[in-house]
Amino acid sequence: MRIVVALALLSALFILGPLLIVVPMSFSTAKSFAFPPPDYWLGYYRAFFADIRWTQPVINSVLIAFATMLLTMALVIPAAFAMVRQRFFGRSAMNLLLMMPMIVPHIVMALGYYSYFSHLKIIHSPLGVVLAHTCLSVPVCYLIIAAALKGFDRNLERAAMNLGAGPLRTFWEVTFPVLRPGFLVGGLFAFIHSFDEAVVAIFISGQAASTLPRKMFDSIRIEADPIVSVVSTLLFAAVLLAVLSPLLWRAIRQTQMKAVPA
Amino acid sequence: MAQVGGIVAQSRSGRTAAWLLLLPALAFLAVFFLIPLGQVLYFSVMDPKFTLHHYAAFFTDDFYWRVLFGTFRTAAIVTVFCLLLSYPLSYAIVRLGGGFATVMLLIVAMSFWTSFLVRTFAWMVILGNNGPLRGILSALGWTPAPELLFTRFSSTLAMVHLLIPFMVLALYSVMKKIDHNVVRAAISLGATPFEAFRRIFLPLSAPGIVNGCTLVFIMCLGFYVTPVLLGSPREQMIAGLIGTQIEEFLEFGEASATAVILLCVTMTVFAIYNRFVGLDKLWG
Repeated sequence: MRIVVALALLSALFILGPLLIVVPMSFSTAKSFAFPPPDYWLGYYRAFFADIRWTQPVINSVLIAFATMLLTMALVIPAAFAMVRQRFFGRSAMNLLLMMPMIVPHIVMALGYYSYFSHLKIIHSPLGVVLAHTCLSVPVCYLIIAAALKGFDRNLERAAMNLGAGPLRTFWEVTFPVLRPGFLVGGLFAFIHSFDEAVVAIFISGQAASTLPRKMFDSIRIEADPIVSVVSTLLFAAVLLAVLSPLLWRAIRQTQMKAVPA
Repeated sequence: MAQVGGIVAQSRSGRTAAWLLLLPALAFLAVFFLIPLGQVLYFSVMDPKFTLHHYAAFFTDDFYWRVLFGTFRTAAIVTVFCLLLSYPLSYAIVRLGGGFATVMLLIVAMSFWTSFLVRTFAWMVILGNNGPLRGILSALGWTPAPELLFTRFSSTLAMVHLLIPFMVLALYSVMKKIDHNVVRAAISLGATPFEAFRRIFLPLSAPGIVNGCTLVFIMCLGFYVTPVLLGSPREQMIAGLIGTQIEEFLEFGEASATAVILLCVTMTVFAIYNRFVGLDKLWG
């Protein structure tokens, strides 16, 4: 078992180490990707926040991801109700269609959107990226919302109806509040999926609707811009905060509980 | 399969309601997913009349065969290394539990949620000409240190790192359901701990191995960003080849044929998985 633990720790080091290297890089004064950094400063952070070629893609990405989230939820929530609660002809075909965007490689869809959206004249526009990202976000959002729906106890609805509530009132006062956390998680996944999606965005977002992953890709490929390390550090810090916050929350709650005399 | 909500599910109005609820998603995916996908299929065989010469061009050229074969080989290598690195980690997480498991799962989650581009950039720094790894190699006396970046090695290594979290999560979700008492029973009946692991735990964890390997292999087959940024330009993977055909040569016919080939390969792997395991198990 000791060997297994040693191997596990090595794997963990391999997983964690590369994530941490972007942090010192972002404070480096080096003009290219040199490590260890010759000296430290905040210049590239200042450059990042002052440069519209970097801030605009951030804004684009947030807006596109938000619109994708809303549109995906509007499509997936009703579909999930039908899929989970009804048995009908064509259900397994529909299930396949809902999951297909996850099966088809993104580069194949990037090619399809490139010519299709050129034809529709919505290439290099935020609208095109939102439409494409919505398709690609449907499967993961559907999986989460369908799982939440499967776990829902329909006796709650029957009880509400028995007590005289109509179908709409039952939905708004019983079904929706119980399922809200599942819906929110589904929406969050759609948001993140769009925010992180690179391949389709590289091919169809153009300069005008450039998303952050596209800007990072171009910047790494073409100019080796040190600002990439600033963006990477900020994104990593956001993940760190999101992943650790439940733990921190629990720790704070526990200290508060202990502080209260029994 | 058990009927959920018996009476409603049988009624005609229930079925009509179901289709009304599905209509927005169905229409949207038809217009913005199936049509562009269909266009790729269409352009792969039309130029401007029906032709198979895009496919003929692919299959008669050694270069394309090498790309296809190289993609398979890279995907297989990445899958094997992901499994080798993930299995002990997942096993230790399940067996030790407690604080160790929490910290390890946090590390995996951190990597899982960090964007592919951020992690690819990190490898760019590590393997770069002025990076720490070459520095260590030359400090150890390997001078001049070998070029690490823009090789098959660099993109393979980075893809292993990028895809490990998927493998760990697939293994972990199966391993945590294994009742460890069956392993203890085997030991109490005279098996050595290793024998008990090999003959009891390992077979029970097989569904996790199959799921993780299928996921990683398929994601690797269609990988675009990392091989393009870190890999050797002379040894492209198939997704990178499609990108080049679009961006540099504007060869939509050939790019479409290549895309259809990639799609067929991916679908074949899914079909094999579906035949033996069932597709619904892949995303649990």
